Amino acid sequence: MENVMTAIRVVPLDHYLILSFLLFSIGMVGALVRRNIIIVIMCLELMLNSVNLLLVAFSAYHSDPGGQIMVFFIMLVAAAEVTVGLAILVLLKRNTDSVDMNQLNRLKW
Amino acid sequence: MSALILISVLGVLVLYLGLFDKKSWLAPVSILGLLGAMALFISGYHIDHELLGGMVEFSAFSIGFNIGMAIITALIFFFGSDYYARQEHHVAEQYALMLFSLVGGFILTSYTSMLMLFIGIEILSIPLYILAGGKKQSLRSNEASFKYFLLGSFSTAFLLMGITLLYGLTGSFHLEALAAHMASTGTGDMVQNFGLFFVVTGLAFKVGAVPFHFWVPDVYQGAPTLVTIFMSTVVKMAGFAAFFRFIDITGMPDALARIMVLLTLATLLVGNVIALKQTHFKRLMAYSSVAHSGFLLLALLTDHGHAAGHGDAIGHTLHYYTFTYSLATTGLFILFTIAKRANNGAEHNNIFQGLFAAKPWLALCALAMFLSLAGIPLTAGFIAKYQVFLLAIGAGWLKVTLLGVLMALLGIYYYIMVVREVFVTPEEPVRFEVSPLNWVVVSVCAVGVLVLGVWPGLV
Repeated sequence: MENVMTAIRVVPLDHYLILSFLLFSIGMVGALVRRNIIIVIMCLELMLNSVNLLLVAFSAYHSDPGGQIMVFFIMLVAAAEVTVGLAILVLLKRNTDSVDMNQLNRLKW
Repeated sequence: MSALILISVLGVLVLYLGLFDKKSWLAPVSILGLLGAMALFISGYHIDHELLGGMVEFSAFSIGFNIGMAIITALIFFFGSDYYARQEHHVAEQYALMLFSLVGGFILTSYTSMLMLFIGIEILSIPLYILAGGKKQSLRSNEASFKYFLLGSFSTAFLLMGITLLYGLTGSFHLEALAAHMASTGTGDMVQNFGLFFVVTGLAFKVGAVPFHFWVPDVYQGAPTLVTIFMSTVVKMAGFAAFFRFIDITGMPDALARIMVLLTLATLLVGNVIALKQTHFKRLMAYSSVAHSGFLLLALLTDHGHAAGHGDAIGHTLHYYTFTYSLATTGLFILFTIAKRANNGAEHNNIFQGLFAAKPWLALCALAMFLSLAGIPLTAGFIAKYQVFLLAIGAGWLKVTLLGVLMALLGIYYYIMVVREVFVTPEEPVRFEVSPLNWVVVSVCAVGVLVLGVWPGLV
Protein backbone atom coordinates (compact mmCIF):
# COMPACT_ATOMS: atom_id res chain seq x y z
CA MET A 1 0.00 0.00 0.00
CA GLU A 2 2.79 2.40 0.92
CA ASN A 3 4.40 1.81 -2.51
CA VAL A 4 1.20 2.85 -4.23
CA MET A 5 1.00 5.97 -2.10
CA THR A 6 4.55 7.02 -2.99
CA ALA A 7 3.92 6.18 -6.65
CA ILE A 8 0.91 8.48 -6.65
CA ARG A 9 2.92 11.21 -4.98
CA VAL A 10 5.53 11.14 -7.77
CA VAL A 11 3.17 13.28 -9.86
CA PRO A 12 2.62 16.76 -8.40
CA LEU A 13 -0.85 17.47 -6.99
CA ASP A 14 -1.46 20.34 -9.43
CA HIS A 15 -1.30 17.94 -12.34
CA TYR A 16 -4.00 15.72 -10.82
CA LEU A 17 -6.11 18.80 -10.22
CA ILE A 18 -5.76 20.01 -13.81
CA LEU A 19 -6.36 16.57 -15.31
CA SER A 20 -9.47 15.94 -13.27
CA PHE A 21 -10.83 19.42 -14.00
CA LEU A 22 -10.25 18.74 -17.69
CA LEU A 23 -12.07 15.42 -17.50
CA PHE A 24 -14.87 17.03 -15.50
CA SER A 25 -15.25 19.79 -18.09
CA ILE A 26 -15.24 17.31 -20.98
CA GLY A 27 -17.95 15.33 -19.23
CA MET A 28 -19.97 18.45 -18.45
CA VAL A 29 -19.82 19.85 -21.97
CA GLY A 30 -20.58 16.43 -23.40
CA ALA A 31 -23.61 16.00 -21.16
CA LEU A 32 -24.93 19.40 -22.23
CA VAL A 33 -24.14 19.20 -25.95
CA ARG A 34 -24.55 15.61 -27.11
CA ARG A 35 -27.97 14.49 -28.30
CA ASN A 36 -27.58 10.74 -27.96
CA ILE A 37 -28.83 9.74 -24.51
CA ILE A 38 -26.38 6.86 -24.09
CA ILE A 39 -23.44 9.18 -24.74
CA VAL A 40 -24.90 11.64 -22.23
CA ILE A 41 -24.96 8.89 -19.60
CA MET A 42 -21.33 8.07 -20.44
CA CYS A 43 -20.44 11.75 -20.00
CA LEU A 44 -22.08 11.74 -16.57
CA GLU A 45 -19.94 8.73 -15.64
CA LEU A 46 -16.87 10.61 -16.85
CA MET A 47 -17.71 13.47 -14.50
CA LEU A 48 -18.03 11.10 -11.55
CA ASN A 49 -14.78 9.33 -12.43
CA SER A 50 -12.85 12.58 -12.67
CA VAL A 51 -13.96 13.18 -9.08
CA ASN A 52 -12.73 9.70 -8.16
CA LEU A 53 -9.29 10.44 -9.61
CA LEU A 54 -9.00 13.64 -7.62
CA LEU A 55 -10.16 11.90 -4.44
CA VAL A 56 -7.48 9.22 -4.74
CA ALA A 57 -4.79 11.85 -5.33
CA PHE A 58 -5.91 13.92 -2.33
CA SER A 59 -6.16 10.81 -0.23
CA ALA A 60 -2.57 9.82 -1.04
CA TYR A 61 -1.27 13.34 -0.37
CA HIS A 62 -3.06 13.56 2.97
CA SER A 63 -2.14 9.91 3.86
CA ASP A 64 -5.79 9.54 4.83
CA PRO A 65 -7.72 6.43 3.74
CA GLY A 66 -11.07 8.24 3.99
CA GLY A 67 -10.84 9.51 0.42
CA GLN A 68 -10.40 6.01 -0.96
CA ILE A 69 -13.42 4.76 0.99
CA MET A 70 -15.40 7.59 -0.58
CA VAL A 71 -14.27 6.37 -4.02
CA PHE A 72 -15.88 3.01 -3.32
CA PHE A 73 -19.10 4.70 -2.28
CA ILE A 74 -19.11 6.84 -5.42
CA MET A 75 -18.57 3.80 -7.65
CA LEU A 76 -21.36 1.94 -5.88
CA VAL A 77 -23.82 4.80 -6.07
CA ALA A 78 -22.89 5.53 -9.69
CA ALA A 79 -23.62 1.91 -10.55
CA ALA A 80 -27.01 2.09 -8.82
CA GLU A 81 -27.80 5.37 -10.53
CA VAL A 82 -26.87 4.15 -13.99
CA THR A 83 -28.93 1.00 -13.46
CA VAL A 84 -31.98 3.13 -12.82
CA GLY A 85 -31.10 5.50 -15.65
CA LEU A 86 -30.72 2.72 -18.20
CA ALA A 87 -33.99 1.14 -17.06
CA ILE A 88 -35.75 4.45 -17.66
CA LEU A 89 -34.02 4.69 -21.03
CA VAL A 90 -35.29 1.23 -22.00
CA LEU A 91 -38.81 2.36 -21.11
CA LEU A 92 -38.36 5.48 -23.20
CA LYS A 93 -37.00 3.46 -26.12
CA ARG A 94 -40.00 1.13 -26.00
CA ASN A 95 -42.44 4.03 -26.05
CA THR A 96 -40.78 6.32 -28.60
CA ASP A 97 -38.42 3.96 -30.47
CA SER A 98 -35.52 6.38 -30.22
CA VAL A 99 -32.66 7.31 -27.89
CA ASP A 100 -32.42 10.91 -29.05
CA MET A 101 -32.59 13.76 -26.55
CA ASN A 102 -34.89 15.74 -28.88
CA GLN A 103 -37.60 13.21 -28.10
CA LEU A 104 -37.85 14.81 -24.68
CA ASN A 105 -39.99 17.75 -25.73
CA ARG A 106 -43.49 16.99 -24.52
CA LEU A 107 -43.19 19.05 -21.36
CA LYS A 108 -42.69 22.73 -22.07
CA TRP A 109 -43.48 26.02 -20.36
CA MET B 1 -30.90 5.09 14.57
CA SER B 2 -33.71 2.72 15.47
CA ALA B 3 -36.09 4.90 13.43
CA LEU B 4 -33.78 4.66 10.40
CA ILE B 5 -33.67 0.87 10.71
CA LEU B 6 -37.41 0.68 11.30
CA ILE B 7 -38.23 2.60 8.11
CA SER B 8 -35.73 0.64 6.01
CA VAL B 9 -37.10 -2.70 7.25
CA LEU B 10 -40.62 -1.38 6.78
CA GLY B 11 -39.83 -0.74 3.12
CA VAL B 12 -38.72 -4.34 2.63
CA LEU B 13 -41.77 -5.59 4.54
CA VAL B 14 -44.05 -3.57 2.28
CA LEU B 15 -42.36 -5.13 -0.76
CA TYR B 16 -43.13 -8.59 0.67
CA LEU B 17 -46.76 -7.59 1.24
CA GLY B 18 -46.90 -6.71 -2.44
CA LEU B 19 -45.39 -10.09 -3.31
CA PHE B 20 -48.21 -11.86 -1.44
CA ASP B 21 -50.94 -9.65 -2.97
CA LYS B 22 -52.00 -7.97 0.25
CA LYS B 23 -52.80 -4.68 -1.43
CA SER B 24 -55.26 -3.47 1.18
CA TRP B 25 -52.65 -3.85 3.93
CA LEU B 26 -50.04 -1.62 2.30
CA ALA B 27 -51.20 1.81 3.46
CA PRO B 28 -52.13 0.75 7.03
CA VAL B 29 -48.85 -1.10 7.59
CA SER B 30 -46.78 1.79 6.18
CA ILE B 31 -48.64 4.34 8.28
CA LEU B 32 -48.23 2.22 11.43
CA GLY B 33 -44.51 1.99 10.73
CA LEU B 34 -44.28 5.75 10.27
CA LEU B 35 -46.13 6.29 13.56
CA GLY B 36 -43.64 3.93 15.20
CA ALA B 37 -40.74 5.94 13.75
CA MET B 38 -42.31 9.15 15.01
CA ALA B 39 -42.66 7.62 18.49
CA LEU B 40 -38.98 6.62 18.40
CA PHE B 41 -37.99 10.13 17.37
CA ILE B 42 -40.14 11.73 20.06
CA SER B 43 -38.76 9.45 22.76
CA GLY B 44 -35.26 10.57 21.77
CA TYR B 45 -36.15 14.25 21.62
CA HIS B 46 -33.62 16.69 23.12
CA ILE B 47 -30.93 14.01 23.22
CA ASP B 48 -27.99 14.37 20.85
CA HIS B 49 -27.12 10.92 19.52
CA GLU B 50 -23.98 10.35 17.53
CA LEU B 51 -24.18 7.44 15.14
CA LEU B 52 -22.08 5.63 12.55
CA GLY B 53 -18.79 6.78 14.04
CA GLY B 54 -19.94 10.39 14.40
CA MET B 55 -21.07 10.78 10.80
CA VAL B 56 -24.74 11.23 11.72
CA GLU B 57 -26.02 13.18 14.68
CA PHE B 58 -29.65 13.43 15.73
CA SER B 59 -30.16 16.80 17.38
CA ALA B 60 -33.37 18.66 18.26
CA PHE B 61 -33.14 20.37 14.84
CA SER B 62 -32.98 17.15 12.83
CA ILE B 63 -35.58 15.35 14.94
CA GLY B 64 -38.00 18.23 14.41
CA PHE B 65 -37.52 17.98 10.65
CA ASN B 66 -37.73 14.18 10.71
CA ILE B 67 -41.04 14.18 12.57
CA GLY B 68 -42.37 16.76 10.11
CA MET B 69 -41.36 14.63 7.13
CA ALA B 70 -42.86 11.50 8.69
CA ILE B 71 -46.19 13.31 9.31
CA ILE B 72 -46.35 14.54 5.72
CA THR B 73 -45.46 11.09 4.37
CA ALA B 74 -48.21 9.55 6.51
CA LEU B 75 -50.72 12.06 5.09
CA ILE B 76 -49.55 11.17 1.57
CA PHE B 77 -50.02 7.46 2.34
CA PHE B 78 -53.57 8.10 3.59
CA PHE B 79 -54.22 9.73 0.23
CA GLY B 80 -52.38 6.87 -1.49
CA SER B 81 -54.89 4.25 -0.34
CA ASP B 82 -57.43 6.05 -2.52
CA TYR B 83 -55.05 7.19 -5.29
CA TYR B 84 -53.83 3.65 -5.98
CA ALA B 85 -57.26 2.04 -5.50
CA ARG B 86 -57.72 1.44 -9.24
CA GLN B 87 -54.15 0.38 -9.92
CA GLU B 88 -53.64 -3.38 -9.81
CA HIS B 89 -49.89 -3.83 -10.25
CA HIS B 90 -46.74 -2.43 -8.66
CA VAL B 91 -48.51 -0.60 -5.85
CA ALA B 92 -46.28 -2.02 -3.11
CA GLU B 93 -43.17 -0.79 -4.92
CA GLN B 94 -44.46 2.78 -4.86
CA TYR B 95 -44.91 2.71 -1.09
CA ALA B 96 -41.58 0.98 -0.55
CA LEU B 97 -39.67 3.44 -2.75
CA MET B 98 -41.22 6.38 -0.94
CA LEU B 99 -40.18 4.87 2.39
CA PHE B 100 -36.61 4.32 1.14
CA SER B 101 -36.53 7.88 -0.10
CA LEU B 102 -37.68 9.05 3.32
CA VAL B 103 -34.68 7.30 4.90
CA GLY B 104 -32.45 9.45 2.68
CA GLY B 105 -34.34 12.47 3.96
CA PHE B 106 -33.69 11.44 7.57
CA ILE B 107 -29.96 11.18 6.84
CA LEU B 108 -29.93 14.59 5.14
CA THR B 109 -31.35 16.35 8.19
CA SER B 110 -28.72 14.90 10.48
CA TYR B 111 -25.43 14.41 8.63
CA THR B 112 -22.20 15.70 10.12
CA SER B 113 -19.92 14.25 7.46
CA MET B 114 -19.98 15.19 3.78
CA LEU B 115 -19.85 11.49 2.94
CA MET B 116 -23.28 11.13 4.53
CA LEU B 117 -24.47 14.25 2.70
CA PHE B 118 -23.66 12.57 -0.61
CA ILE B 119 -25.18 9.23 0.40
CA GLY B 120 -28.28 10.89 1.85
CA ILE B 121 -28.92 12.84 -1.35
CA GLU B 122 -28.53 9.71 -3.44
CA ILE B 123 -30.82 7.62 -1.23
CA LEU B 124 -33.36 10.42 -1.46
CA SER B 125 -33.06 10.85 -5.23
CA ILE B 126 -32.65 7.41 -6.80
CA PRO B 127 -36.09 6.12 -5.68
CA LEU B 128 -37.59 9.38 -6.93
CA TYR B 129 -36.22 8.86 -10.44
CA ILE B 130 -38.19 5.62 -10.54
CA LEU B 131 -41.28 7.07 -8.87
CA ALA B 132 -41.46 9.97 -11.33
CA GLY B 133 -41.75 7.39 -14.12
CA GLY B 134 -44.54 5.60 -12.27
CA LYS B 135 -46.99 5.71 -15.19
CA LYS B 136 -45.10 3.39 -17.49
CA GLN B 137 -47.24 3.92 -20.59
CA SER B 138 -47.36 7.70 -20.31
CA LEU B 139 -44.73 9.47 -22.40
CA ARG B 140 -44.91 12.52 -20.15
CA SER B 141 -44.14 10.43 -17.12
CA ASN B 142 -41.20 8.76 -18.93
CA GLU B 143 -39.87 12.12 -19.91
CA ALA B 144 -40.24 13.59 -16.42
CA SER B 145 -38.44 10.61 -14.97
CA PHE B 146 -35.58 10.82 -17.43
CA LYS B 147 -35.15 14.59 -17.10
CA TYR B 148 -35.06 14.25 -13.34
CA PHE B 149 -32.49 11.46 -13.63
CA LEU B 150 -30.22 13.41 -15.98
CA LEU B 151 -30.28 16.68 -14.06
CA GLY B 152 -30.12 14.83 -10.75
CA SER B 153 -26.94 12.97 -11.66
CA PHE B 154 -25.53 16.12 -13.20
CA SER B 155 -26.00 18.00 -9.94
CA THR B 156 -24.61 15.05 -7.97
CA ALA B 157 -21.39 15.31 -9.97
CA PHE B 158 -21.11 18.99 -9.01
CA LEU B 159 -21.80 18.20 -5.38
CA LEU B 160 -19.12 15.50 -5.42
CA MET B 161 -16.58 17.81 -7.04
CA GLY B 162 -17.22 20.33 -4.29
CA ILE B 163 -16.94 17.74 -1.54
CA THR B 164 -13.67 16.49 -3.03
CA LEU B 165 -12.13 19.95 -3.19
CA LEU B 166 -13.10 20.63 0.41
CA TYR B 167 -11.68 17.22 1.37
CA GLY B 168 -8.45 18.20 -0.38
CA LEU B 169 -8.21 21.25 1.85
CA THR B 170 -8.85 19.59 5.18
CA GLY B 171 -8.05 15.90 4.73
CA SER B 172 -11.36 14.95 6.33
CA PHE B 173 -15.00 14.74 5.31
CA HIS B 174 -16.16 15.87 8.72
CA LEU B 175 -17.99 19.19 8.86
CA GLU B 176 -16.22 20.11 12.11
CA ALA B 177 -12.86 19.82 10.35
CA LEU B 178 -14.15 22.05 7.57
CA ALA B 179 -15.43 24.62 10.07
CA ALA B 180 -12.08 24.61 11.91
CA HIS B 181 -10.21 25.06 8.62
CA MET B 182 -12.44 27.93 7.50
CA ALA B 183 -12.11 29.65 10.86
CA SER B 184 -8.30 29.46 10.66
CA THR B 185 -7.91 30.69 7.06
CA GLY B 186 -10.40 33.58 7.17
CA THR B 187 -11.27 34.74 3.65
CA GLY B 188 -10.13 31.49 2.07
CA ASP B 189 -8.36 30.66 -1.17
CA MET B 190 -9.50 29.67 -4.63
CA VAL B 191 -9.85 25.96 -3.94
CA GLN B 192 -12.03 26.63 -0.91
CA ASN B 193 -14.27 29.03 -2.82
CA PHE B 194 -14.61 26.61 -5.71
CA GLY B 195 -15.42 23.78 -3.32
CA LEU B 196 -18.12 25.78 -1.55
CA PHE B 197 -19.49 26.98 -4.87
CA PHE B 198 -19.78 23.45 -6.28
CA VAL B 199 -21.47 22.06 -3.16
CA VAL B 200 -23.95 24.94 -3.10
CA THR B 201 -24.65 24.37 -6.80
CA GLY B 202 -25.42 20.71 -6.14
CA LEU B 203 -27.74 21.57 -3.25
CA ALA B 204 -29.42 24.40 -5.19
CA PHE B 205 -30.33 21.89 -7.90
CA LYS B 206 -32.06 19.71 -5.31
CA VAL B 207 -34.14 22.51 -3.80
CA GLY B 208 -34.95 23.97 -7.24
CA ALA B 209 -33.31 27.38 -6.95
CA VAL B 210 -32.98 29.54 -10.07
CA PRO B 211 -30.93 29.13 -12.35
CA PHE B 212 -31.06 25.41 -11.54
CA HIS B 213 -34.84 25.14 -11.58
CA PHE B 214 -35.48 23.93 -15.14
CA TRP B 215 -36.39 20.43 -14.09
CA VAL B 216 -38.97 21.55 -11.50
CA PRO B 217 -42.01 22.39 -13.69
CA ASP B 218 -41.39 19.54 -16.14
CA VAL B 219 -40.95 16.90 -13.47
CA TYR B 220 -43.88 18.16 -11.37
CA GLN B 221 -46.13 18.08 -14.42
CA GLY B 222 -45.05 14.70 -15.75
CA ALA B 223 -44.85 12.73 -12.51
CA PRO B 224 -47.96 11.07 -11.02
CA THR B 225 -49.67 13.53 -8.65
CA LEU B 226 -48.90 11.52 -5.53
CA VAL B 227 -45.20 11.56 -6.38
CA THR B 228 -45.41 15.28 -7.14
CA ILE B 229 -46.73 15.82 -3.61
CA PHE B 230 -43.85 13.81 -2.19
CA MET B 231 -41.32 15.77 -4.26
CA SER B 232 -42.64 19.18 -3.40
CA THR B 233 -42.97 18.48 0.33
CA VAL B 234 -40.66 15.86 1.82
CA VAL B 235 -37.82 16.42 -0.65
CA LYS B 236 -38.00 20.16 -0.13
CA MET B 237 -37.88 19.79 3.66
CA ALA B 238 -34.91 17.44 3.45
CA GLY B 239 -33.14 19.60 0.87
CA PHE B 240 -33.41 22.74 2.93
CA ALA B 241 -32.39 20.97 6.12
CA ALA B 242 -29.27 19.72 4.35
CA PHE B 243 -28.63 23.15 2.84
CA PHE B 244 -28.97 24.80 6.23
CA ARG B 245 -26.64 22.35 7.97
CA PHE B 246 -23.97 22.95 5.36
CA ILE B 247 -24.36 26.75 5.29
CA ASP B 248 -24.49 26.96 9.06
CA ILE B 249 -21.31 25.01 9.65
CA THR B 250 -19.30 26.98 7.10
CA GLY B 251 -20.43 30.25 8.71
CA MET B 252 -20.92 31.58 5.15
CA PRO B 253 -17.77 33.47 4.11
CA ASP B 254 -18.20 36.56 1.93
CA ALA B 255 -17.59 34.77 -1.36
CA LEU B 256 -20.36 32.29 -0.59
CA ALA B 257 -22.66 35.06 0.63
CA ARG B 258 -22.35 36.85 -2.74
CA ILE B 259 -23.41 33.69 -4.59
CA MET B 260 -26.28 33.12 -2.18
CA VAL B 261 -27.57 36.67 -2.68
CA LEU B 262 -27.61 36.15 -6.44
CA LEU B 263 -29.39 32.80 -6.05
CA THR B 264 -31.98 34.33 -3.72
CA LEU B 265 -32.70 37.34 -5.93
CA ALA B 266 -32.99 35.21 -9.08
CA THR B 267 -35.19 32.61 -7.39
CA LEU B 268 -37.58 35.18 -5.89
CA LEU B 269 -37.89 37.05 -9.16
CA VAL B 270 -38.13 34.21 -11.69
CA GLY B 271 -40.32 31.93 -9.56
CA ASN B 272 -42.98 34.53 -8.89
CA VAL B 273 -42.97 36.25 -12.29
CA ILE B 274 -43.22 33.08 -14.37
CA ALA B 275 -45.93 31.72 -12.06
CA LEU B 276 -48.13 34.64 -13.13
CA LYS B 277 -48.42 33.21 -16.65
CA GLN B 278 -49.27 29.61 -15.71
CA THR B 279 -52.66 28.13 -16.50
CA HIS B 280 -51.69 24.51 -15.86
CA PHE B 281 -52.22 23.82 -12.16
CA LYS B 282 -49.24 21.51 -11.65
CA ARG B 283 -46.88 23.94 -13.38
CA LEU B 284 -48.34 26.78 -11.31
CA MET B 285 -47.59 24.79 -8.16
CA ALA B 286 -44.09 24.05 -9.50
CA TYR B 287 -43.28 27.73 -9.98
CA SER B 288 -44.89 28.48 -6.65
CA SER B 289 -42.53 25.88 -5.19
CA VAL B 290 -39.58 27.69 -6.82
CA ALA B 291 -40.88 30.97 -5.41
CA HIS B 292 -41.11 29.50 -1.92
CA SER B 293 -37.55 28.23 -2.34
CA GLY B 294 -36.65 31.88 -2.82
CA PHE B 295 -38.14 32.88 0.53
CA LEU B 296 -36.41 29.94 2.21
CA LEU B 297 -33.09 30.94 0.62
CA LEU B 298 -33.64 34.43 2.04
CA ALA B 299 -33.86 32.81 5.48
CA LEU B 300 -30.64 30.89 4.79
CA LEU B 301 -28.96 34.11 3.70
CA THR B 302 -29.33 35.56 7.18
CA ASP B 303 -26.83 33.02 8.43
CA HIS B 304 -24.13 35.33 7.02
CA GLY B 305 -22.13 36.79 9.86
CA HIS B 306 -23.27 34.32 12.50
CA ALA B 307 -20.60 32.36 14.29
CA ALA B 308 -20.56 28.80 12.93
CA GLY B 309 -23.31 26.64 14.40
CA HIS B 310 -25.37 29.46 15.96
CA GLY B 311 -28.31 29.62 13.61
CA ASP B 312 -30.95 28.02 15.83
CA ALA B 313 -33.54 30.71 15.05
CA ILE B 314 -32.99 30.21 11.33
CA GLY B 315 -33.33 26.45 11.70
CA HIS B 316 -36.62 26.89 13.51
CA THR B 317 -37.95 29.30 10.89
CA LEU B 318 -36.99 26.91 8.08
CA HIS B 319 -38.74 24.07 9.88
CA TYR B 320 -41.92 26.06 10.42
CA TYR B 321 -41.92 27.41 6.85
CA THR B 322 -41.30 24.09 5.10
CA PHE B 323 -43.75 22.19 7.29
CA THR B 324 -46.65 24.60 6.82
CA TYR B 325 -45.87 24.92 3.11
CA SER B 326 -45.93 21.12 2.87
CA LEU B 327 -49.30 20.87 4.66
CA ALA B 328 -50.91 23.38 2.28
CA THR B 329 -49.36 21.79 -0.82
CA THR B 330 -50.45 18.29 0.17
CA GLY B 331 -54.04 19.36 0.67
CA LEU B 332 -54.17 21.33 -2.57
CA PHE B 333 -52.76 18.50 -4.67
CA ILE B 334 -55.34 16.11 -3.20
CA LEU B 335 -58.10 18.57 -4.12
CA PHE B 336 -56.48 18.82 -7.57
CA THR B 337 -56.75 15.04 -7.99
CA ILE B 338 -60.41 15.13 -6.95
CA ALA B 339 -61.12 17.95 -9.43
CA LYS B 340 -59.10 16.23 -12.16
CA ARG B 341 -61.20 13.09 -11.80
CA ALA B 342 -64.40 15.16 -11.98
CA ASN B 343 -63.19 16.78 -15.22
CA ASN B 344 -62.03 13.65 -17.08
CA GLY B 345 -58.30 14.18 -16.55
CA ALA B 346 -58.00 17.87 -17.44
CA GLU B 347 -55.22 19.58 -15.48
CA HIS B 348 -55.81 23.32 -15.97
CA ASN B 349 -56.74 25.78 -13.27
CA ASN B 350 -60.37 25.96 -14.39
CA ILE B 351 -61.04 22.38 -13.27
CA PHE B 352 -61.73 23.80 -9.82
CA GLN B 353 -64.87 25.52 -11.12
CA GLY B 354 -67.98 24.55 -9.24
CA LEU B 355 -66.17 23.21 -6.20
CA PHE B 356 -67.87 25.71 -3.91
CA ALA B 357 -71.32 24.89 -5.27
CA ALA B 358 -70.80 21.15 -4.92
CA LYS B 359 -68.63 20.83 -1.80
CA PRO B 360 -68.62 24.09 0.22
CA TRP B 361 -66.42 22.73 3.02
CA LEU B 362 -63.70 21.56 0.63
CA ALA B 363 -63.83 24.92 -1.16
CA LEU B 364 -63.26 26.68 2.16
CA CYS B 365 -60.36 24.31 2.84
CA ALA B 366 -58.91 25.21 -0.57
CA LEU B 367 -59.34 28.89 0.28
CA ALA B 368 -57.46 28.46 3.57
CA MET B 369 -54.60 26.60 1.93
CA PHE B 370 -54.24 29.03 -0.99
CA LEU B 371 -54.27 31.96 1.41
CA SER B 372 -51.61 30.22 3.47
CA LEU B 373 -49.40 29.80 0.40
CA ALA B 374 -50.01 33.44 -0.48
CA GLY B 375 -49.16 34.54 3.07
CA ILE B 376 -52.37 36.21 4.23
CA PRO B 377 -52.60 36.90 8.00
CA LEU B 378 -54.28 34.32 10.26
CA THR B 379 -52.76 31.49 8.21
CA ALA B 380 -49.47 29.74 8.84
CA GLY B 381 -47.99 31.00 5.57
CA PHE B 382 -48.16 34.58 6.87
CA ILE B 383 -46.31 33.78 10.09
CA ALA B 384 -43.69 31.86 8.12
CA LYS B 385 -43.01 34.71 5.70
CA TYR B 386 -43.14 37.22 8.56
CA GLN B 387 -40.47 35.30 10.45
CA VAL B 388 -38.27 35.11 7.35
CA PHE B 389 -38.54 38.85 6.70
CA LEU B 390 -37.90 39.62 10.36
CA LEU B 391 -34.72 37.51 10.30
CA ALA B 392 -33.58 39.12 7.04
CA ILE B 393 -34.13 42.69 8.29
CA GLY B 394 -32.40 41.82 11.55
CA ALA B 395 -29.38 40.60 9.58
CA GLY B 396 -29.30 43.78 7.51
CA TRP B 397 -30.47 42.51 4.10
CA LEU B 398 -32.88 45.40 3.57
CA LYS B 399 -32.91 45.53 -0.24
CA VAL B 400 -33.32 41.79 -0.66
CA THR B 401 -36.13 41.82 1.91
CA LEU B 402 -37.86 44.61 0.03
CA LEU B 403 -37.79 42.51 -3.14
CA GLY B 404 -39.08 39.57 -1.09
CA VAL B 405 -42.05 41.59 0.17
CA LEU B 406 -42.84 42.81 -3.35
CA MET B 407 -42.69 39.27 -4.67
CA ALA B 408 -44.92 38.03 -1.85
CA LEU B 409 -47.50 40.63 -2.93
CA LEU B 410 -47.14 39.50 -6.55
CA GLY B 411 -47.63 35.93 -5.34
CA ILE B 412 -51.05 36.76 -3.90
CA TYR B 413 -52.28 37.48 -7.44
CA TYR B 414 -51.72 34.07 -8.96
CA TYR B 415 -53.08 32.20 -5.94
CA ILE B 416 -56.21 34.39 -5.94
CA MET B 417 -56.70 33.59 -9.64
CA VAL B 418 -57.13 29.92 -8.73
CA VAL B 419 -59.24 30.74 -5.67
CA ARG B 420 -61.56 32.67 -7.98
CA GLU B 421 -62.05 29.52 -10.07
CA VAL B 422 -63.03 27.61 -6.93
CA PHE B 423 -65.93 29.99 -6.29
CA VAL B 424 -67.10 30.25 -9.91
CA THR B 425 -70.31 28.33 -10.59
CA PRO B 426 -70.26 26.73 -14.05
CA GLU B 427 -73.41 26.37 -16.11
CA GLU B 428 -73.48 22.62 -15.78
CA PRO B 429 -72.89 21.42 -12.23
CA VAL B 430 -69.79 19.23 -11.86
CA ARG B 431 -69.94 16.09 -9.72
CA PHE B 432 -66.98 15.86 -7.36
CA GLU B 433 -66.53 12.42 -5.82
CA VAL B 434 -64.66 12.57 -2.52
CA SER B 435 -63.75 9.48 -0.56
CA PRO B 436 -64.07 9.91 3.23
CA LEU B 437 -60.35 9.44 3.82
CA ASN B 438 -59.44 12.18 1.33
CA TRP B 439 -61.98 14.47 2.96
CA VAL B 440 -60.31 13.88 6.32
CA VAL B 441 -56.78 14.46 4.98
CA VAL B 442 -57.76 17.70 3.20
CA SER B 443 -59.52 18.91 6.34
CA VAL B 444 -56.49 18.05 8.48
CA CYS B 445 -54.23 20.04 6.14
CA ALA B 446 -56.53 23.07 6.02
CA VAL B 447 -57.24 23.12 9.75
CA GLY B 448 -53.52 22.52 10.32
CA VAL B 449 -52.45 25.67 8.46
CA LEU B 450 -55.08 27.73 10.31
CA VAL B 451 -54.24 26.37 13.75
CA LEU B 452 -50.50 26.77 13.17
CA GLY B 453 -51.17 30.28 11.94
CA VAL B 454 -52.94 31.21 15.15
CA TRP B 455 -50.61 29.30 17.50
CA PRO B 456 -47.21 29.24 15.76
CA GLY B 457 -45.62 27.85 18.91
CA LEU B 458 -47.07 24.39 18.26
CA VAL B 459 -44.32 23.41 15.79
